[in-house]
Amino acid sequence: MKLEMFHLMPYRELPQDFDERYRSVWVDVPSQLMDPLKVHQMYNDTLDELELAAVSGFDGVCVNEHHQNAYGFMPSPNIMAATLARRTRDTAIIVLGNSIALYNPPIRVAEEFAMLDCISGGRLVAGFPVGSSMDVNFAYGANPATFRDKYYEAEDLILKAWTNPEIFSYDGKYTQLRYVNLWPRPLQKPHPPIWIPGGGSIETWGWSLQKGYLYAYLSYAGFKRGKMVMDGFWKKADELGVEKNPYQGGFLQLVAVGETESEVQDKFGPHGEYFYNKMLHVYPGFADAPGYRTIDTIKAGLLSQTTQFGEAPPKMSWKQLLEAGNIVAGTPKQVTEQLEQVIKDLHIGHLMVLSQFGSIPHDLAMENIKTTATQVLPKLRGIWDGQWEDKWWIHPMSSPQMPGPLRYQQPAAVNGGQHTPSRQPAGAPAGD
Amino acid sequence: MRAAASMTASKQGATTMTERSVSVAGGQFKTDVIEEGKGQPVLFLHGTFGLDADRFLNRLGDQYRVVAPRHPGYSGSTGSERLLDINDLIYYYLDFLDAEGLRDLPIVGHSLGAMFAAELAAVQPERFSKLVLMDSFGLWNPEYPVADFFAMMPRELGATLYHDPESPTAQAASKPPEENEAFIAYMLERAKSLATAAKYLWPIPNRGLNKRLHRISAPTLLIWGESDKLVPPRYGQDFQAGIKGARLELIKDAGHLPQVEQPDQLAETVLSFLGQK
Repeated sequence: MKLEMFHLMPYRELPQDFDERYRSVWVDVPSQLMDPLKVHQMYNDTLDELELAAVSGFDGVCVNEHHQNAYGFMPSPNIMAATLARRTRDTAIIVLGNSIALYNPPIRVAEEFAMLDCISGGRLVAGFPVGSSMDVNFAYGANPATFRDKYYEAEDLILKAWTNPEIFSYDGKYTQLRYVNLWPRPLQKPHPPIWIPGGGSIETWGWSLQKGYLYAYLSYAGFKRGKMVMDGFWKKADELGVEKNPYQGGFLQLVAVGETESEVQDKFGPHGEYFYNKMLHVYPGFADAPGYRTIDTIKAGLLSQTTQFGEAPPKMSWKQLLEAGNIVAGTPKQVTEQLEQVIKDLHIGHLMVLSQFGSIPHDLAMENIKTTATQVLPKLRGIWDGQWEDKWWIHPMSSPQMPGPLRYQQPAAVNGGQHTPSRQPAGAPAGD
Repeated sequence: MRAAASMTASKQGATTMTERSVSVAGGQFKTDVIEEGKGQPVLFLHGTFGLDADRFLNRLGDQYRVVAPRHPGYSGSTGSERLLDINDLIYYYLDFLDAEGLRDLPIVGHSLGAMFAAELAAVQPERFSKLVLMDSFGLWNPEYPVADFFAMMPRELGATLYHDPESPTAQAASKPPEENEAFIAYMLERAKSLATAAKYLWPIPNRGLNKRLHRISAPTLLIWGESDKLVPPRYGQDFQAGIKGARLELIKDAGHLPQVEQPDQLAETVLSFLGQK
């Protein structure tokens, strides 16, 4: 069993009445709500948290791509991955991923991923998401009518660029190149493991299985909804005659651990509610540009009545979030038991743990990561041992020329644990 | 704006309406065509929300043979996957006109279909005797942007499309069917047709038509619903500035869909223009 830490990089200080005053946290979220000095702190907190996860027992660290989004502002996860590649030593660097059809030409992704793989000594996991409609259609203007087709072409081009040793030309519907000749190429051969983060589109299941890629269901809807999706994935595996190796499936889960249930509720409750009730406040008109989802997926949603048109999700309390399975929270023992159940029910070999969510402050996130890594992960790691082999994992080189292993040092606490930005505040006289 | 799937049986009144399928470009496309009336042909290209054999078409059919194809991707018309962009679409329509043996005829377009009509009239100016553009897409000015209807929820869309969204006519035209199977068919057709429209309108409905407008030589009538909140009437003036000799008429008490809100006045305006020597 592999356990990875996932970070969305949320803006922790949206106004309390955000969801009443503004229509969306994504696409047209007002940029005036963002303070670059706080962003400086939040990026560095995020990297600290991922680095702590890397040295305290997580198998991998995950970063992802969103655009014009206040709950995830890593427009370029590759920049985060690049610093993580240098500051960590043996952890997988999981980029989940680059929305390959957004880049023109898509070999830009092939190049950057090859760079990351070489810098890290073969520790890159390459994620190829289609990308959400908010990101690709509304923020980046990609045409929803042709985007999925373009995505398949981008995947084809990247794979050829990574594996064809000869210079070749590419005459695609969307990309034409006279000379494809990557410098560098990935260190892992034939290429880094490929993971497909999905949001529940049904054609992605069959495609990932046929291509032999890992399918990771990334949603915040928790394990009850996750079970429905992963059941669909494994049923498709049966239909296609593909072996149901749990390591081909991944799932994201929000996790909060503490000494007692009531302590966990006190400490994490407001942040969980902030995440679900403010950060996931997305204008429904942005959720699904026409053509973004295929007719088959829309039909499946209509028939199963899981798709609500134009309905904003109801506000949920911490207690409801736990009951619905959106968040797994409690003592290390309770969390371990529940996650073991999730892993077995969903039949997954990769669990991505979201340890920082919503407005969880840095110190509490660090505590959560440490406790999860030391008191929960060790008991879950052996679940599939002796039964299944992970064919979707990194193959690092044997003696990389990396800096020494990182010794994590708690930053000096100033202002009650807050970092003090070393820059002058905005508006200070120039010339510093 | 009722999706095309629900429309085939909606015809009443005159008895000359027929529906047929045409094979285009050696069978690469199967195109559904609604035909109304007899006499000189008029090509009608429908708008973003589909084709309805409505009162407006019916009135045109009193005096002309109205040929109204459904664009590939709408309802039963196939082959949309072969069309990547506006260029492909223009060539497709030239193929369609060849298949139908149509030349030297007036072309009337609404909304998305008006954008197509303008493109065709610019590409083969000698082929069309007259041009009518109603509430046309195709131009862009950030000072008065076309509304982003792709991001609208049904209620907002209703409020944007009509002069009077509360009127019984507007309510009836925009209400999805209640019965479950019909509702699913409606939603799927809607998803399919809007995805098709997105190909030519996303993210900004500008595919360079302004560079070609000057080529249009057919006598041109521009018609705008006076309270079109989707494509504001200012765009009518922009089209007028780009097409030599074009005339602009505003329809009172109508929004983006004058054929729903003012079908008779619209029909009279169009018929009067088509009848002029």
